[in-house]
Amino acid sequence: MQWNIPSLEELEHYIWRCTACGTCRVAYDFGPPATCGEICPSGSEFGFEGYMASKGKIAFARGILDGTLDLADPEFLEAIYKCTICAGCQSQCQLDHKPYIPEIFEAMRRKAVESGVGPLPLQKNLLQSMKSYNNPYQGPRRLRTDWTRPFKKAKKPIKNLNKEPAEIMFFVGCTGAFNKQAQGIPQATASIFQKLGLDFGILGESEVCCGSTAMRVGDAEEFKRVAEHNLNLFRQMADEKGVKTIITSCAGCYRAIKKDYCLSADYDKLMDGIEVIHTADYLHRLWQEGKLPLQNAVEGTFTYHDPCHTGRHLNKFIIDEDGSELWPGAYLELSEEDCLYDQPRELLAAIPGVEVVEMKRVRANSYCCGGGGGVMTGFGDWATKNAGKRISEGVEAGASDMVSICPFCHYNLNAGAKSIGSAMKLYDLTELIDRALPEK
Amino acid sequence: MTAEAAKQLDPILEELRSIVGESNASAAKHIRYAYSYDMSFVDPKMPDYVVMATEVEQIQEIMRFANQEKIPVVPYTAGTNIGGLCIPERGGILLDLKRMNKIIDIDPLDGVAVIEPGVSHAKLADALFPLGLRFGWPVGPPSASVSSCAISHGIGGLNARYGLQSQEITSMEVVLPTGELVRVGSCAIQKDAWHSTLPMPKLDGLFKGWLGTTGVVTKLGVNVHPAPPLLKIFTVSCETVEDMYSYMLNLSNYEICDDITAVSWWLSQVPIPYPYKPKPDDAAEWNSYATTFSWTEKERDARQEIWEKVVAEEQAKGTSVQVTHYPEEALRGRTQLPSQVVGSTKNYCKQGGAGISWPGTFTPAKKWAPVYTRWKDILIGRNLSPSVRMSMYRGVHYGMLRAMIPFNKQSKEETENARQAIIECLRVDLDEGGIPYKPPVDFAKEINKRADQGYLMLLKRVKEMLDPNDIMNPGKLGI
Ligand SMILES: Cc1cc2nc3c(=O)[nH]c(=O)nc-3n(C[C@H](O)[C@H](O)[C@H](O)COP(=O)(O)OP(=O)(O)OC[C@H]3O[C@@H](n4cnc5c(N)ncnc54)[C@H](O)[C@@H]3O)c2cc1C
Ligand code: SF4
Ligand code: SF4
Repeated sequence: MQWNIPSLEELEHYIWRCTACGTCRVAYDFGPPATCGEICPSGSEFGFEGYMASKGKIAFARGILDGTLDLADPEFLEAIYKCTICAGCQSQCQLDHKPYIPEIFEAMRRKAVESGVGPLPLQKNLLQSMKSYNNPYQGPRRLRTDWTRPFKKAKKPIKNLNKEPAEIMFFVGCTGAFNKQAQGIPQATASIFQKLGLDFGILGESEVCCGSTAMRVGDAEEFKRVAEHNLNLFRQMADEKGVKTIITSCAGCYRAIKKDYCLSADYDKLMDGIEVIHTADYLHRLWQEGKLPLQNAVEGTFTYHDPCHTGRHLNKFIIDEDGSELWPGAYLELSEEDCLYDQPRELLAAIPGVEVVEMKRVRANSYCCGGGGGVMTGFGDWATKNAGKRISEGVEAGASDMVSICPFCHYNLNAGAKSIGSAMKLYDLTELIDRALPEK
Repeated sequence: MTAEAAKQLDPILEELRSIVGESNASAAKHIRYAYSYDMSFVDPKMPDYVVMATEVEQIQEIMRFANQEKIPVVPYTAGTNIGGLCIPERGGILLDLKRMNKIIDIDPLDGVAVIEPGVSHAKLADALFPLGLRFGWPVGPPSASVSSCAISHGIGGLNARYGLQSQEITSMEVVLPTGELVRVGSCAIQKDAWHSTLPMPKLDGLFKGWLGTTGVVTKLGVNVHPAPPLLKIFTVSCETVEDMYSYMLNLSNYEICDDITAVSWWLSQVPIPYPYKPKPDDAAEWNSYATTFSWTEKERDARQEIWEKVVAEEQAKGTSVQVTHYPEEALRGRTQLPSQVVGSTKNYCKQGGAGISWPGTFTPAKKWAPVYTRWKDILIGRNLSPSVRMSMYRGVHYGMLRAMIPFNKQSKEETENARQAIIECLRVDLDEGGIPYKPPVDFAKEINKRADQGYLMLLKRVKEMLDPNDIMNPGKLGI
């Protein structure tokens, strides 16, 4: 399969668009009212300019390209992994390299992996696990369906797409499947689907990681391996089992399938007739159509945390490809139509008993939980510490509960709350919706 | 490695770490590299160490140590000065102060904010807004430091009303190059009084306009002002720079505006055309915006009446002044401050790419037209847009004359072309009595060539008195 994944050298032109103005260092909005907040978890933690937002990472990229900086230097190697690839910095920049900012960071990592030095040792374990088990959690295949036990027990089995046809494929994702603390998410999702009487199935033990983590830490080969497998499988499932929609409750899987998989030259052909949608978006559609009866009250003061992968990572950048408006390659504007900012908020607000309060940094300026980009694996303590900061912001906003739509954020924010001794309770939106829906 | 072995390996680093903590001092190449360049044409140079301080006492210790060892120290907040002022000429310690970012106090009754050097424009704007207060924001990056801009005689959106940022400084706390902590202004007499640098000798002058070569400012008092709710923007265009000068001079005499600025056609484009492209024949060469804020509609109407009178007078003189519509995006970028859009250099560099420098000067208004005419020839001759701004300062007939010159920094030739054009422009302006602000070393040398010997002697003496070992941002004054 042909892939269009750029090398650092191929991005050099864009690397030379950055003026080092440092606007990416803070989330600032004129308003009125004017608001400002930290946006870069890496810069906030490590401080030196190299760590600070895209300004610093682009300095690193220039240093690699001009031969001053050597990826074989372990301290430098570590530095390029001290970034959650949250794209908070990208939201601030206004120049032509804006669309490529996370790409530049990941291209540095790809170069490190290609040259045999990257990723970091702990992340190498994760990649080894992907190669051995097709998931980053060293989870044997048979454990992938552990989360379905309550359904079997309740005699509400979930279809296995390998055996039975269904219109909807619920792509569970490795975190929901293997991470005990996140298993409530696929369970709530499946429960909702059953309550709504949807025709859905899962891949069960044969589900393979989406490849998001491999891509984020720079292992393009491993990413391609699983992505090619999945793309072919999706086609097969569409052709043989009638799958028309792939739904996932995982922000990472969603971003990977929706955006990273598009880098394949065969994407359009293989995904023809298949819609990929996040659970929150799908349920929001049903709710708008009056098909999501949110009846049971769920009491609490909730705040919504925008995951990077369902928010600004889904920005569509409008580029003047042929130069007819400005010049070839000029960044023209941004469309947020794919970003899931409103859907989860509207669903949350529609649940009886729920009071919603907003944190200061939301939507495109949401403050990353700190877990992405391989950071949770590579720098667990920092990831937790950063999540603690986000929890504190929720507390300041007056929330007793925090909601998200990403198992990764869910896990990390939970750890963050514990680390600062906060009583903040963490929920995935599906868990609240499941509670609000009446039994069938 | 044991602490003792580490100390032997790099005793300076170990000493710095013992002052600010292990993770706040580094000699790693990748850390130093990120401080080695900025957006200007100034050649990159690396510091030997980077240190992040969070406490005044740490800065004192660093300065004592550096002074004893004669190690250069370069103060840094965001490095956006457009003049290579934080690029170390002689290596040494890059002192990054962005983590000293507390707003210590905002006193609406005194109209004073007391801030640490790392407080950004964005942070102060966020804090002032709910209090109904304002400050003269520059068109620079929101993440840049308020204090660094103020001590560098920065220019903001209220300079026709209250003066330059440095004129808004009310008191200072400074660590001297030799490590002593000093205060100037009212806070020197009563530690909580930050209201004014007067009526004492204006010792704040020892630290303003010195480009970080005389001490490290650790606290700064600045005036903040009540924000009237009604904004009116007067926009006109003129065919010639002479006509625009005449209009601005006339309007400035009434002192009704917060900012009176005019920009050449090239600067009103988003972005500045790079390389140079000719102005369309039907477009005016100059556009001006003048902002005025009022408390009541009656006040606003009275200001409008004065402005209409000025326009009528100018038209009666036969000038080409026309009431006009200022390009929308450019206007927003200049009046909705701090601006993330302009701050991110979009309006300037989006086409040029990575590089920007300026001949930025304070020039008598009567010289704007002749200087601009020469600049235009020089810049167009080098295929660069004459993207020039003129702003009138408070109650005086001089102001900012500046050409924002973007360039493709990836290309050495194009960078050098811009550098030479800018230096040429600067010479023209200096010879007409203008003075560059925040000058890179190349400019400082041009200034000093023309300077009175007595002035240079005094400059050196003051510098030697404060910094006997010439460790503070050495080389930047070009002496
Ligand atoms: C697009 C753009 C537009 C701009 N527009 C304007 C404008 O309208 N008006 C304007 O005035 N400026 C403008 N600037 C320049 C610049 O952004 C401002 O002057 C800014 O506030 C400088 O802050 P900084 O944190 O980047 O300072 P830095 O560049 O870090 O430092 C500036 C100088 O101060 C010294 N310094 C820093 N901290 C201290 C300290 N604590 N004690 C002593 N010395 C210190 C440094 O050594 C250096 O010499 C613009 C810049 C850009 C990129
Ligand atoms: S990435 Fe964009 S916002 Fe950040 S320093 Fe570079 S040009 Fe400025
Ligand atoms: S992606 Fe996020 S963590 Fe990485 S540099 Fe940008 S803001 Fe910082």
